[in-house]
Amino acid sequence: MTVSENIQIAAERSPALVRRISPKTVLYAALSTLVVVFCIVPFILVIVISFGRKVDGAGWVWDLTFDNYQRFFVGVLWPDEVTFLYLQQLGNSFYFAVIASVLAVLTALPFTLLLTRLKRSAQAIWLVFILASLSMSEVFIVMGWDILLSNNSGLPKLFQVTGFTQWLKDVGWFQTLRDIGLANPRNVKFKPSGFATILTMSYLVWPYAVILLYPAFSRLDPSLAEAARTMGANRWTVIRTVTLPAIRLPLMGTTLLLFVFLLGSYVSVSVFATPDKQTTAVAIYSNIRGSNLDAPFGSAQAVILLISASVCLCFGHLLNSKAEAR
Amino acid sequence: MRAGGTIFMSLAALLLAMPIVVVCAAALNGGRSMFFPPRDPTLARFGEFFVSEPVWTNALTNSIIVATGAATLAVLIAWPVAYLLWSTGSKLSKALAGVGSLPFAVPPIVIGVGLGFFWSFTWGLGHLWSGVISHAVLLMALPLVTISIGLQSIDRSHLDAAATMGATEQVAFRTVVLPQTVPYTISGFFFVLVLSFNEFIVIFFVSASAYSTVTLQIFNSLRNGYTPTMAVAAITFLTVSILVFAAVARWGDLPRLMGADQTRK
Repeated sequence: MTVSENIQIAAERSPALVRRISPKTVLYAALSTLVVVFCIVPFILVIVISFGRKVDGAGWVWDLTFDNYQRFFVGVLWPDEVTFLYLQQLGNSFYFAVIASVLAVLTALPFTLLLTRLKRSAQAIWLVFILASLSMSEVFIVMGWDILLSNNSGLPKLFQVTGFTQWLKDVGWFQTLRDIGLANPRNVKFKPSGFATILTMSYLVWPYAVILLYPAFSRLDPSLAEAARTMGANRWTVIRTVTLPAIRLPLMGTTLLLFVFLLGSYVSVSVFATPDKQTTAVAIYSNIRGSNLDAPFGSAQAVILLISASVCLCFGHLLNSKAEAR
Repeated sequence: MRAGGTIFMSLAALLLAMPIVVVCAAALNGGRSMFFPPRDPTLARFGEFFVSEPVWTNALTNSIIVATGAATLAVLIAWPVAYLLWSTGSKLSKALAGVGSLPFAVPPIVIGVGLGFFWSFTWGLGHLWSGVISHAVLLMALPLVTISIGLQSIDRSHLDAAATMGATEQVAFRTVVLPQTVPYTISGFFFVLVLSFNEFIVIFFVSASAYSTVTLQIFNSLRNGYTPTMAVAAITFLTVSILVFAAVARWGDLPRLMGADQTRK
């Protein structure tokens, strides 16, 4: 930007130059270069390096091999032996992201509807609160839930002290909790578990869900619902036949965006998930920055994550343009 | 129904606040471990975080440098892109805006890995300035959106009036366009500031452990167990966020920035 400004100023000083290249062209050229270098080249690098080859004890070299992708889909020893470990990790990524994003959108839906019916000034206060929690770093959120769910000073302790654990045992639900891995013989135990992972991930994107649903919901025309009410439809019929069809597309679009965001979430999974439920994001980390030091394979995993995300984003974009067209 | 709605919203607020409150309260612990409720409450941790422990003061300084640098840079790049998009609406300007928003749209770990490679080839890995640029690239989409909203809110008849009265394009830009978009530009700046402050995964890949920001320092400390000083960081960050967004709500139109319908009050 500063460069283009300098050029612009220089161009203004020498009229001969202005006639040949307009400042707008220079601005376009400068911005295009900037955007391509910083927003496209990193992705290209990831894609190119994913075809590279790891050298034992010496990092990696450029190459054009599909070994990394083969390893991802069927394992190193294919065709003699097939392992789906990495596909399973991708499956875990999808599993956590799908459940957490759907959960977040389903609970954010009634909240946002209620929010848009408040007065404008009250809405602003709520928005400040939601934006503040949205911007809280993942590390703080994980820290908070980690304390809340920890056995010695969190909810399990509270359950025990208040006698809630005993009550659970009396009713017989404790055994159910033990069966799904949320309790040890003495008390409830929330981490590590899929429950804690999904709870934290869902919590992480919940404010995003509200913010993304907010524009569509605040444009809902209340007179439509009122008309239906006057014509004798009850509240649930109105929600089912008027409100829900109007917000169906933004709902799906929001779920997709949150899902894509959660596909790459790292901190919550690495802290809360059980070792057999680790995801592709964690694998990418351990390959590129962690103990494995296999940048090409990490890149291949990142490319696969990127492709999954792009497919979802394109689908979401399609939904959005369909919604705009109506 | 109305009462049910209020109860639901309060419950949501409670759940939303719970982990944050727990972290903040843990800052008051007197000992070296985190307890909730805090034991032996003291404010000594605040002194450690802001003054006496170099690990944290350095991290805080780095965070501030990266966040303000990235916010400034992001606004400087986003402004001309948004302006071109608004004034010309050309295919190229649309492409620029689209590609500029790309890093924000993909899973952050992918752009983190990509920028990590990028800087390792351009001698930027592990330098603070590359962290600044990385965050500007990642979060450029935000000022792009806020500035575009601001430009769209300008009444074109004002521009026509200015032109009729003999203002050149530059004069009209300076007297009509700029003043009306200032609040939106500032909002964009602060959105980047706050999100950069709290960002973890991208800065993790581009810092290459050569320096640490507050979020990096906290992640490193997660492995050695929590200390109450980390909670002070959480309080600081939360305070900054609330102040920033409250300021945006006070001097700008937050519901409009978030896309609320203009016709209803």
